[in-house]
Amino acid sequence: MFVRVMGLPLRLSLYVLLCLVLMTVDARYDLLHQVRAGLTAVLHPLQNQLARPFRYLQEAFDFFRIHGELLRDVHRLQAERRELLLLLQDRELLQAENLHLRALLDLDTPPGYRAIAVELIQVLPNPFARKVVVNRGSRQGVAPGWPVVDALGLVGQVTRVYPNSSEVSLITSPEQDVPVQVLRNGLRLLVSGEGQDRLLEVRFLDMHADMQTGDILVTSGLDGRYPAGIPVARVLATEPPRHSPFARALCAPLAGVGKQRQLVILQRMPEGVQPPAGRP
Amino acid sequence: MNQDATLAPRGPQLVAPAGARLVYGSLAIAFLLGLLPWPGQWRWLVPDFSFIVLLYWNIHAPHRAGLGLACGLGLLTDAARGVLFGLHGLVYVLAAFAALTVRRRLENFLPPGQALQLAPLFVGKELAVLLLGLAAGQTVIDWWTLAAGPMAALLWLPVCLLLHRLAGRPSAPPAAMAQDK
Repeated sequence: MFVRVMGLPLRLSLYVLLCLVLMTVDARYDLLHQVRAGLTAVLHPLQNQLARPFRYLQEAFDFFRIHGELLRDVHRLQAERRELLLLLQDRELLQAENLHLRALLDLDTPPGYRAIAVELIQVLPNPFARKVVVNRGSRQGVAPGWPVVDALGLVGQVTRVYPNSSEVSLITSPEQDVPVQVLRNGLRLLVSGEGQDRLLEVRFLDMHADMQTGDILVTSGLDGRYPAGIPVARVLATEPPRHSPFARALCAPLAGVGKQRQLVILQRMPEGVQPPAGRP
Repeated sequence: MNQDATLAPRGPQLVAPAGARLVYGSLAIAFLLGLLPWPGQWRWLVPDFSFIVLLYWNIHAPHRAGLGLACGLGLLTDAARGVLFGLHGLVYVLAAFAALTVRRRLENFLPPGQALQLAPLFVGKELAVLLLGLAAGQTVIDWWTLAAGPMAALLWLPVCLLLHRLAGRPSAPPAAMAQDK
């Protein structure tokens, strides 16, 4: 007995018909809902199980990603904090500068002098003298020999002038001598630099001179360089003569010599010329 | 040397027919591959793995993988993808019919040649699914899913290599081997 096997085209048409019928039924009626529900009841848990390792993997990746992000954030915030601290420092600096500038503005210039506000550019690395460079020079009218002060007292004098800057020798420089007088009794002396920022010395003091610790020394104006009455130093100690016939006194400069950034050059006005009314 | 050649058995190497476990197992694995949680933004590039394996068995083991299997697999895919019942079934059946018709010719090509000739089938399958959906009343269609067709053609090569090895087939078809000699 022969079994007739259906040909390929016939089977194809049967299957196509089946599928078309299924599609129509599924599209038009709700008959296949149960079948679909049954199939998905198997498929969805299967899908869920298949997805599980990937979920774990995803979680692991997320962990490292978040870790990296946190690290990045920490680094960024630390950098920001550093910048903010720097800004804060800057602000404190500005405040200090501001205070100092206000003090300078309040400075009374001696009659016959005009104030030129200058700023310190550089402290010269000179091993023999204490000198600084300020940002005003001959173009701005600065000339050698002019006194330089700050709000508290005498700082030094202009020794060299360049077009846009000048060199100021500080009173603490060893070769600098300033004619002063004791404010208390008018005793006239010369105070010299020691080469140290906070120390001046009266070298040839009469051993009977009336000088006490705490005396204020002001410029006497005798040399014609410095105007009279600028505070220079406070006496720290007097030493009786030991190896020489003279006593000596150690003083501390009153001005912030070598410390301040803002200074004032006192410009001597020619005789008969009134200084401008406004302040610098 | 010539004598050896003449004495050696001529004709295509005999290959044991693929076992049922291999055929259905590979189809099941391919189907599960399709169920994997592929990333959403690349989902349109992911080819239909079970379709590739189905065509492979249509060509290399027609006694196991015929139109019935194609129809069943298509219906299962319909359920898995949540589309109209019979949509993939119809497309799979038509594709399997095409593959069964040309299988004797295809068997004599190396996998790259096969991939080239099957590429229209792969692309056509995606296109047919989209067009059938359109005909069935779907309005929003992601035409990018057509890209899965060329991807499937590309994937034909590794699938062939893998299944050839699993089925104990020589990697080159008899005709190609004859040409090599």
